[in-house]
Amino acid sequence: MDETVAEFFKRTILKIPMAEMMTILKAWDFLSENQLQTVNFRQRKESLVQDLVLLCEKKRASLNDAAILDIVYTQFHRHQKVWDVFRMSREPGEDIDLFDMEQFKRSFKKILQRALKNVTISFRDAEENAVWIRIAWGSQYRKPNQYRPVYVVYYSQTPYAFTSSSQLRSNIPLLGQALTIASKHHQIMKMDLRSRYLDSLKAIVFKQYNQTFETHNSTTPLHERSLGLDINMDSRIIHENRIEKERVQRVTQETFGYYPQPRLEFAQYKLETKFKSDLNGGILAEREEPLRCLIKFSSPHLLEALKALAPAGIADAPLSPLLTCIPNKGMNYFKIRDK
Amino acid sequence: MHRSRKKLEEPQTVQAEESALVTEIQKLRRLRDKLRAEVKRRQAGVKASTANVEPDQTWEITEQEVLERKWENLKAVLQAYRFTGLSGKLTSRGVCVCISTAFEGNLLDSYFMDLIVQKPLRIHRHSVPVFIPLEELSAKYLETNIQHFLFTLCEYLNAYSGRKYQADRLQSDFAAFLAGPLQRNSLCNLLSFTYKVEPRGQSFPLCARLLYKDLTRTLPTDVTVTYQGMDALSTSWEEQRASQENLFRTKPLHHVFTSFARKGEMLDMSLVS
Repeated sequence: MDETVAEFFKRTILKIPMAEMMTILKAWDFLSENQLQTVNFRQRKESLVQDLVLLCEKKRASLNDAAILDIVYTQFHRHQKVWDVFRMSREPGEDIDLFDMEQFKRSFKKILQRALKNVTISFRDAEENAVWIRIAWGSQYRKPNQYRPVYVVYYSQTPYAFTSSSQLRSNIPLLGQALTIASKHHQIMKMDLRSRYLDSLKAIVFKQYNQTFETHNSTTPLHERSLGLDINMDSRIIHENRIEKERVQRVTQETFGYYPQPRLEFAQYKLETKFKSDLNGGILAEREEPLRCLIKFSSPHLLEALKALAPAGIADAPLSPLLTCIPNKGMNYFKIRDK
Repeated sequence: MHRSRKKLEEPQTVQAEESALVTEIQKLRRLRDKLRAEVKRRQAGVKASTANVEPDQTWEITEQEVLERKWENLKAVLQAYRFTGLSGKLTSRGVCVCISTAFEGNLLDSYFMDLIVQKPLRIHRHSVPVFIPLEELSAKYLETNIQHFLFTLCEYLNAYSGRKYQADRLQSDFAAFLAGPLQRNSLCNLLSFTYKVEPRGQSFPLCARLLYKDLTRTLPTDVTVTYQGMDALSTSWEEQRASQENLFRTKPLHHVFTSFARKGEMLDMSLVS
């Protein structure tokens, strides 16, 4: 086995936490059950990794096999990457999309390899007719850097692709082109949506986050849960402003619904607006040029935090539509200019 | 003056007074008994009248029961409407439409749409998969002809469910006949696989490619079957190949493989006998 490939194997396996080692190796499905049983998983990690690399060598594992293992690792640790979302479009009135996965892969590979001599492209099929693509970029004179790959997740016959944010931005247009042509679209644009939580991004763009519907079959009434106003509390406790509290609850439920919110870590607003003030005069009010400022809201779970603002009394209900439109519009990056 | 008179009258008047009081006592006792008797009588009378009222109350309960039974029945009918494939429930802002798909009598997934009845009529949210051309259909028909919109959407969803069902059946029930993974896509409108007519036999593997260009149908529009790695075929092999193509074109996918399985069983039986 080539030294660089062996090194790549070693570093990839070393990344895997001991607790997940068996699970990930099984998901990789390259080493058989019997072969895995010959390895002592209780030894020190460095020795375990050595044994596993030897096994891979014996089985003539290729660079592509190592790349697939890297994909499996990333699939288990998708939150370690930040994901961008691209939307593709095609001219209306096109033929029915007869998506052929193998044709897509061939086409995608061909386009990239024609443009770049040195590039490693690997595919792994995933559930829901999706594919994970791993691309290690090289250049005219340099071999691909296996330690800074880009991942793309594409669900067949949808206009959306999710890519892991990469430092090497120069190759993004090429990547976009390959995706567009291989999936038989005409245009691609980057959405103003970014998060670590790939599944939440998918839920937002596929509009899968608000899935409780009223039917005659549903037994649980929708308007059951109340956040905060506990009727069973001690009768000696009186709620002041009960009416206002109930109004806030109602407005919050109408805006945010009864479903768990998709998970985002931030919302960013870039303002380029003229300063507006109630007070007459003042230095800022006389400025002709717009003020430029950046406002960023961060949270481990931004939308749940926004949902809790009004009931907690920190903000008025209803919240600004700039905050509540995030899942609907599929945006968490905003540019606000004067109209 | 009084006292002196009383003293003179003592023996006779005391006796008279005593007897007068005794009479009074007796009179009062008689009155008391009379009153007691009257009270008892009236109490008994009230009990009797309440006893008469009870049958009325049970009659009211029955009427309530009847209404409750009617209500449960109506709810059950509304729930059963699901089986017609297209049902709905009024919401505060419009209607929530439920499209329940089925294929060959098997109830499959249900899809929902929250419609807001306003001008313009719009879809608030839905659970239709992203690869179904909902935007196209709603742009064309939602405003102008909602019936056509709903029926067309039903067609698309039922056909998708049916194709998906066939592909799932092939993968799960007839894996033994496949010589490799079944290649499919989200819409299940392109299926590609390599198979053998006999799972354990010596027959040559065949490659099948099924295209479903009509998204409202559950049978393929284009079928290509080839013997793996063979271009020129003898007449009998060519006949076989063509008949295989025809099978896939006319019968649902899993039925084709069921017939292969049955032929295999018949062959086994004939070998045994």
